[in-house]
Amino acid sequence: MGKARKMVEFDEDDDQSYNLRSSRSSTTNPRATKRARISGEESSHVDKIRLSFQDFDQALSGFKLPSGNERSKNTDLWVDKYKPRTLDELAVHKKKVDEVKSWFEEILDSSKDGFRNNVLLVTGQAGVGKSATIHLIASILGVTVYEWNAPIPTVWQEHMHNSTSGLRYTSKLDEFENFVESTRKYGVIASSNTGGMKARIVLLIDDLPLNNGRHAFERLQNCLMLLVRSTQMPTVVLITDYDKTDSSDQTARSMEDVQSSLERAGALKVAFNPITKNSIKKTLQRICKEEHCKVTTVEIDQVASASGGDIRNAITSLQLFSVKPELNHTKIKLPQPRMNNSYQENEQTMHRCLDNGISSCFGRDETLSLFHALGKFLHNKRETDHVIVADCSDSLVHDQFARLPLKMDAPEKVLSQAHGQAGRVVDFLHENVLDFVSDEAIEDAWCVSSYLADADLLLAASRGKMSWDNKTEDILQSAGASVAVRGVLYGNKQPWSSRWHAIRKPKLWQVERSSIQTKKNLREQRNISFEGSRVSDISVMVTEYSPVLKWLSYRASPELEEKTDEEDSEISEDDEIQDW
Amino acid sequence: MASSSSTSGAGVYEIPWVEKYRPSKIIDIVGNEDAVSRLQVIARDGNMPNLILAGPPGTGKTTSILALAHELLGSNYREAVLELNASDDRGIDVVRNKIKMFAQKKVTLPPGRHKVVILDEADSMTSGAQQALRRTIEIYATSTRFALACNTSAKIIEPIQSRCALVRFSRLSDQQILDRLMVVVQAENVPYVPEGLEAIIFTADGDMRQALNNLQATFSGFRFVNQENVFKVCDQPHPLHVKNIVRNVLESKFDDACHGLKQLYDLGYSPTDIITTLFRIIKNYDMAEYLKLEFMKETGFAHMRICDGVGSYLQLCGLLAKLAIVRETAKAA
Repeated sequence: MGKARKMVEFDEDDDQSYNLRSSRSSTTNPRATKRARISGEESSHVDKIRLSFQDFDQALSGFKLPSGNERSKNTDLWVDKYKPRTLDELAVHKKKVDEVKSWFEEILDSSKDGFRNNVLLVTGQAGVGKSATIHLIASILGVTVYEWNAPIPTVWQEHMHNSTSGLRYTSKLDEFENFVESTRKYGVIASSNTGGMKARIVLLIDDLPLNNGRHAFERLQNCLMLLVRSTQMPTVVLITDYDKTDSSDQTARSMEDVQSSLERAGALKVAFNPITKNSIKKTLQRICKEEHCKVTTVEIDQVASASGGDIRNAITSLQLFSVKPELNHTKIKLPQPRMNNSYQENEQTMHRCLDNGISSCFGRDETLSLFHALGKFLHNKRETDHVIVADCSDSLVHDQFARLPLKMDAPEKVLSQAHGQAGRVVDFLHENVLDFVSDEAIEDAWCVSSYLADADLLLAASRGKMSWDNKTEDILQSAGASVAVRGVLYGNKQPWSSRWHAIRKPKLWQVERSSIQTKKNLREQRNISFEGSRVSDISVMVTEYSPVLKWLSYRASPELEEKTDEEDSEISEDDEIQDW
Repeated sequence: MASSSSTSGAGVYEIPWVEKYRPSKIIDIVGNEDAVSRLQVIARDGNMPNLILAGPPGTGKTTSILALAHELLGSNYREAVLELNASDDRGIDVVRNKIKMFAQKKVTLPPGRHKVVILDEADSMTSGAQQALRRTIEIYATSTRFALACNTSAKIIEPIQSRCALVRFSRLSDQQILDRLMVVVQAENVPYVPEGLEAIIFTADGDMRQALNNLQATFSGFRFVNQENVFKVCDQPHPLHVKNIVRNVLESKFDDACHGLKQLYDLGYSPTDIITTLFRIIKNYDMAEYLKLEFMKETGFAHMRICDGVGSYLQLCGLLAKLAIVRETAKAA
């Protein structure tokens, strides 16, 4: 019903329009709750009307800026509230911003020329400011951004109901195809509203339709290729990277293919890197100043490094984090306001608590808290003075096997606080432990390595698959992690005197990832070649099928091979750039 | 003993204690003080950010979200909260329709309050459904906030992780579980001995839900909570027994250890049960570092063999023999 009414809904993605919408929502009568769809349509009409006031708004926003915060004092997410408004506030690397900006300027200036690069492809991991950059640059240059928003699809029941009246079911993909087709031919129809400034429009495709299965994926790919090759409108396509080692996910892999095919079709690709810790810190500090919340630089530092280059997550975490101190102060100040000395002490412990708290319970990925734990294991601090532990007699061991007591909690406890996955812990230990073993002690290295190998064997069952829901696997996990950690602690008899070492990311992951990539490519080739028979496994593919293919046709296969090689090298380069 | 069941007459339907004693206020939630106190401030001040609550089962994730939603929205709870868990249909269709419809719905709320979508067990959502959620979270941020609960945050796709603040929950300490158990025990007039509660805490392994369930099961089965009854109900090898086996190995009494194992095996416990308990005992047993490491390694290998299908008595005996050899090699001269 609803979807036939309107194929394409344009939204001016500006927070002002959202505000307008929400302010409307409070004035609409309660009856509207039942008719959400229709009121939604009303507001989109309003959006269109607003388009004509766009310039006025922009002129106004200059004055609004200082008082802008009061408008949405306590109801917005900080991510929205502190959207970058100037290029200085944008945390994205300057070079990338310039690339995007120059693309914008190019399409604006040389609009008379025949050939130009109409499609910009922006990639990068989640939360590095892809869409923020586009919106900001567009607003600075006075370009209107149109977004393709998927309409609400038909539910199956609705479809059954409608099927008698002759309406056909259309998927999101169908709608996307239709949309691309129509914009390609006619441009954006709503552009008449803006009063003849046709060149100053950019189409933003953020929400690519999701596809399951090869057929749907090919349709999407063809459709995008068509768009790239022949669109009349400047278009920006945003694709989120998933850089996970376990990219067993079909969609993640197909998105990579979309990227490469778009590039081949002539789209300009700008790849955003994760945002550096310093720029995240700068942004967080600015927000703290505007919010008047007291967060120490150490805490900001931790939030920033825990986010892993994801600024949106950093801001969200900061919002959550900032609610705490207020509570803490009231809690601690009230009971003992006059005893100065102990109060200070108290505050110090509080800060320590906070530090521990934030590193263990917040942050997007476990790397930071994991590193704390790894540092403890690798440095292997022990009691130095000769403490003779009055142990029960049954667990006395030969001097050769005895070790001084550890200067930390039980390794299992440290591990559980670090929220690390066993596999990751073993990988990290394996990569880094040799730096911490003394150069002379080859026996220690032997001992440590053999324990790590054992741990790896214990974990082998759960490698590869993500889920270990049942309890039995859980035991294997913890056994593997314990053996690895305790093996490192035990084996490293004379730890290298404590000097600073950076903990490296396991090189093993690169190898794994590129092997997954290669396997994936091989599997795809197989799918293309044999339609029915999927029995042959990878080794047969490599040893028999691909050599034969090379013999048979020199034209088709070499090209493919080269492509995969290039991709691999590109990925590994990216990895090296990331510093840990 | 019969007098103890005064609160629940015979034959009357009794709701699970897990539900009956689920805290309805954030302040009552046990453990994870840091995270919970933050949630409390949010409940007071409003403007809840999008949240992901991640942690092992039985640590209070769902309870926290529900309590938070109740405290935030009060009487508006019914129309301003959409709660979906794995038992609901949460395919891509539902995300696109039900959640989107809910997000567009107009509800009059006090300033600083937002509608809340609770997605419990979010790690069981398909990645397709999560993808569809991505834009919805962003577009309706002014009126709707999301709270996701899951066991492993790695199963949430990155774009959603990026949009939410992650709150980790960790296993509860034994003391925290004990405190809560005492509350329940007193409210329900459960007769108990301290060792019984200790046993319940051992079986629960940091999982509050399991602890309460075991308590209730023991109570309704035997009307008395002691060690014996708890391990009968939970049907795990008695930890004390297993501990004796380990001690015998350490004291080089191999025959006694084997005898103990035989008894355990004859009681009908499967090798998986025995070795699971054995591993946990070894983990907490106080022994020399080298011994602990080697014992854990050998137990891990034996566990792997059993998982591979070689769940025989012979494997367990072999394990004991290996442990004994380790003990002998490391023996002080």
